Amino acid sequence: MRVATDIGGTFTDLVYVDDNGNFGIAKSNTTPPHFEKGVLDVIEKSGVSDSPLTMFIHGTTVIINSLTERKGAKTALITTKGFRDVLEIARGNRPDLFNVKYDKPKPFVDRYLRKEVSERLNYKGEVLTELNIEEVKDAVAYFKQEGVEAIAVSFLHSYVNPSHEQQTVQLIKEIWPEVKVTASSDITQEWREYERTNTAVLNAYVQPTATTYIDRLEQELQEQVKIDQRYIMQSNGGTTKFSKAKESPINMVESGPVAGILGAAVLGEMIGEKNIIAFDIGGTTAKCSLIEDGEVKVSTDYYIEKDSRNAGYPIKTPVVDIVEIGNGGGSIAWIDEAGSLKVGPQSAGARPGPVAYGQGGTEPTTTDANLLTGRLSSKNFDYNVNLENVKSAISTKIGNHFGISAEEAALGIIRIANSNMLNALKLISIRKGHNPQEFTLLAFGGGGSMHAPALALELGVKKVVIPVASPVFSAWGMLMTDLRHDYIQTYIKRMNELTIDEINKQWDEIERNAFTHFEEEGMEASNVVFQRFADMRYLGQEHTVKVPVANGEWTAAQKQQAIEDFHKLHEKNFTFNLPDAQTEIVNIHVTAFGKVPKPQLLKLERNGTLEEAKKEVREVYYEEEGWVSTPIYDRDKLPTRQTIKGPAIVEEKAAVTVIYKQQKLYLDDYGNIIIEKEEN
Amino acid sequence: MTTMTKLDPFTLEIVKDSLLSAGDEMFVALARTSMSPIIYEVLDYASGLTDAHGNLLTQGNGVTGFIGMLTFMVKETLNKYPGEKLKEGDIIIINDPYQGGGSHLSDVGLVMPIFYKGELIAFSANKAHWTEVGGKDPGSFTNDSVDIFQEGLQFSCIKLYDEGKLNEGIVEIIRSNVRFPDLSLGDMFAQVAALRTGERRVKELCEKHTMETILAAIEYHLNHGELISRQELKKLPKGDFYAEDFIDTDGIGNGPFPIKVKVTITDDEFICDFRGSSPQVPGPMNCSYTGLVSAVRAIFLAITNPAQDVNDGVFRPLKIIVDSKSIMSAERPVPVSNYFETLLGSLDLVWKAMAPHIPSRLNAGQFLSVCAVTLSGNHQDTNEPFLIVEPSVGGWGGSIDKDGASGQFCFSDGETYNVPVEVAETRYGVLLDEYSLRQDGNGAGAGKFIGGKGVIRSYRALSDGQAVTVTFGRNKFLPWGIDKGHEGSPNEFYVKKSTGEVDGPYGVYPRYKLNTNDVVQLMTGTGGGYGDPLERPAVQVAEDVKNGYFTVEEARDYFLVEVNKDTFEYKELAGRN
Repeated sequence: MRVATDIGGTFTDLVYVDDNGNFGIAKSNTTPPHFEKGVLDVIEKSGVSDSPLTMFIHGTTVIINSLTERKGAKTALITTKGFRDVLEIARGNRPDLFNVKYDKPKPFVDRYLRKEVSERLNYKGEVLTELNIEEVKDAVAYFKQEGVEAIAVSFLHSYVNPSHEQQTVQLIKEIWPEVKVTASSDITQEWREYERTNTAVLNAYVQPTATTYIDRLEQELQEQVKIDQRYIMQSNGGTTKFSKAKESPINMVESGPVAGILGAAVLGEMIGEKNIIAFDIGGTTAKCSLIEDGEVKVSTDYYIEKDSRNAGYPIKTPVVDIVEIGNGGGSIAWIDEAGSLKVGPQSAGARPGPVAYGQGGTEPTTTDANLLTGRLSSKNFDYNVNLENVKSAISTKIGNHFGISAEEAALGIIRIANSNMLNALKLISIRKGHNPQEFTLLAFGGGGSMHAPALALELGVKKVVIPVASPVFSAWGMLMTDLRHDYIQTYIKRMNELTIDEINKQWDEIERNAFTHFEEEGMEASNVVFQRFADMRYLGQEHTVKVPVANGEWTAAQKQQAIEDFHKLHEKNFTFNLPDAQTEIVNIHVTAFGKVPKPQLLKLERNGTLEEAKKEVREVYYEEEGWVSTPIYDRDKLPTRQTIKGPAIVEEKAAVTVIYKQQKLYLDDYGNIIIEKEEN
Repeated sequence: MTTMTKLDPFTLEIVKDSLLSAGDEMFVALARTSMSPIIYEVLDYASGLTDAHGNLLTQGNGVTGFIGMLTFMVKETLNKYPGEKLKEGDIIIINDPYQGGGSHLSDVGLVMPIFYKGELIAFSANKAHWTEVGGKDPGSFTNDSVDIFQEGLQFSCIKLYDEGKLNEGIVEIIRSNVRFPDLSLGDMFAQVAALRTGERRVKELCEKHTMETILAAIEYHLNHGELISRQELKKLPKGDFYAEDFIDTDGIGNGPFPIKVKVTITDDEFICDFRGSSPQVPGPMNCSYTGLVSAVRAIFLAITNPAQDVNDGVFRPLKIIVDSKSIMSAERPVPVSNYFETLLGSLDLVWKAMAPHIPSRLNAGQFLSVCAVTLSGNHQDTNEPFLIVEPSVGGWGGSIDKDGASGQFCFSDGETYNVPVEVAETRYGVLLDEYSLRQDGNGAGAGKFIGGKGVIRSYRALSDGQAVTVTFGRNKFLPWGIDKGHEGSPNEFYVKKSTGEVDGPYGVYPRYKLNTNDVVQLMTGTGGGYGDPLERPAVQVAEDVKNGYFTVEEARDYFLVEVNKDTFEYKELAGRN
């Protein structure tokens, strides 16, 4: 038995798969601040604790919560003489252009806790000034006296030569073994001192919280359940052992959300879909990510608290590329100062929730609009729905303003919400040079199936997949993950000067390092698979293109292939290439997977008729059509491979699929819903 | 309005959103295809869509200083090519500072009419800082030119493409007149590609929603902008407001030059009257009328509603009055290369006049200069030439509810990024000795809410024969405080030679020679303070000392708080309330 648990804002989800390939799910309340309790609750509720678990995979929001709520440790910084203010100056940018009272992000370490020591490297990593040990000792003594709980160490050019950082960390561990300490070069080997320093600081900031949490979880699990292997989901879409997670907890900042994206790629591979737009709609936000040729895109361009008006804080660890917008089922519809309808980013959350819940919510939400237009039925809710209250809220807050009916206003809310989500989907596809017609939209989360068919028509994708377990698909994705570590090293080399020997030496060094890490995690070398990339650019450019490059021993041929592939990718991404221009490498990147056996998806064969699966016929309000009598089906009773023509609705526990008259739908052999456009 | 009534409000909203996102897409497309750091790193460009009359619909901005310029480029185009003279496939190139839409020659604008079924319905336009447009100095960017002809190539609203056909002659002229033709032409074609993205998106919208719907949505969008502005205008104090200040120098030894404004706010209008300011000057600090309009628009947005989508409807209540041939409405052929310093000076006047009356939106004075630095030489290891062109970060003013920001680019910049030390040391022949917040030691920026700190950035030359050109405004006249808040400190630089000799301080200096181990220490100003320093809580003052933002002496002399330098225990002195 293999089990995944995913802590969300409202619920802690569990998905398990037994040795015969049977899946099961359970949900329980999330229990802040003692999140481990919710995990144990859901395990108990699911009944899996009776059988031995071969593998336990966990996704957690503890790290991101500790950052956004500013509940981390008292953190100090040791840095190169002359540069303690790098953390406060940051990049100096101000995205909120016309706001002269813009709030620049405040550093996570106050100035008095940022201590400089004499030491200096040049850009080649050569020592210009030796590390001054006495100054390190003084700084540590001062931090001790100030009650510091964690220390970050970040020196200039440590990505080329980490020795001064390592010496400093070693010294701190000797003189103050209790304190948590992070060297920037242990977390990221990329250049740009502000970004690297901030990453080290945030790792230090969350480390005490993360350690306590993981230790407590581990202990409680040990007491209650028999588990062979315990893993935690990382932001790069792979897992790592509990012990490793404690060393660099910042790698877990997007633990959870990325699992659904990874799951989409795995499911896509099983059903023969290589190009996927993964789309997850929850209660508060919608997230999307583009998977090309089966590959989940991972980069280190990640920030927290960044948007079009805020600079945010960079974290240079590998994170699956996700675009997230403030639009979900609970998003509130409102009228702005000049009288336009807006939806989100404010959300009614789980409490009081939409008006439909009857728990005190007074603001109309997307969910209320879906209810009033017949897309949802009162029977879909766990609460007693008072439809009149919903109607009146939509009329009072939205409809009256425009002089239209509650139903028309509800449709307006849905259209604006769809328009917001469509912009996010375009951002990751059309705007990056991809043609949506070549992609399949794979939608999940509580609201994914509700909105995806309408968005597919707008975006022009040919096919929509609503996967099995779609409401808890993130946890499903976790069951399908491998161990994964990403090694990214800034390595600035012009291609015409790069020798075959030196590049082979680099690859070898990184991959040997990876083998060591996996060995510590008990992973056999034969199950380790590498994927190599080079971040390349034309000489003089700033932006790089991530180029997949050959594994194994390089010769001149592999080097030449890398250059040619770069030209091609550059043209794809930026519309042009410069065949005669010099190229250079900025970073080399190795992704190392420790492959674990995956559970097989069981084939489903369900006979019967569509009529037997039909629950009712309901009036549903469609754009440009008005009220249409629409058949409603039960997903759990749908026979496989039998086509339903739109308009139609398919209901399951915790999710609803709505298709339009231009679309048709069937259940595939694995129980996934497949939606296609009707050919005229 | 008849078409309006047929359309539901949600379609209009969705079309409006689509126009805005087309604007964003054009903006991103240009950065992605550009070869020049000034475009992809500093984001010194703007792009957008206007209606068929040149009214701005949406503008993507990396810097605030370009707001409003696209409109005037399009209006100039309509003026020069009326009616049938403008054809589908035309693209117009324009950088003439004295015509509509001009700033300085380095900022080159392109304008493309968008036709749908033979009818002119909109314009796609952008304007970007080219690394090179020729002229007397590398980078075309000079602080001691004496006329426009020293500053580079001039394009006076001419057709680069005629019905889709490229005018090869113009390309050849550019190629033979600029120092890095591949960069300049690369940027030009990147601009063309971005314009075409805008054209494609507008046509797609017409296909999807019909042209009538698009035109109705445009009208709705402009009216929506105006409505918000007028609502905000109603909340502002009414009457006449005055401010005076100075531009330090024109770069070639003249100055200071007085500048002044009278701001009149009524129920319907926001009028900025700059009459009585200095006439245009011999050196390159002159600002064109377009530059002045951008300046006023930027601060108008800060005052009314900084969060809203920008279109020409927003600016309908705004009026500008200025003498002809003034320092902020210069005419041919005076030099304008550093126009942005006067652009900043002009908007700062309106800011200064209004700040005491609108404390919720405006703070005290800032370091107010792009603080441009150009450093050239050969790399010590490769002997290849390098050229640093960069703005600098400095201190912003305190306000009624918070301290000023430290180390941030000035108001006319925006989504602008500094160059990381590690990147600079790899690419350029320099070593940085320091990148840190400035400790003034003289109470600069003291207040109930303090001014943000200026920054020290020190470059050590690693090869002989380097040259640094520095253009720092606000060197003589300091960032202003509000309501007993102290003034900030000047932007200035020193050269510390390997011989031990120290030269400076200077504000503006062309081509200062540096040899190995000479250090140029660039220091930007601390912002002005807000409110009486004696009202800053003593515990906060003690923390300021502990954090090294103020010295023990400053705490005692300006805040009347005695702070122990070791324990940071504090005692309030007589004179505080």
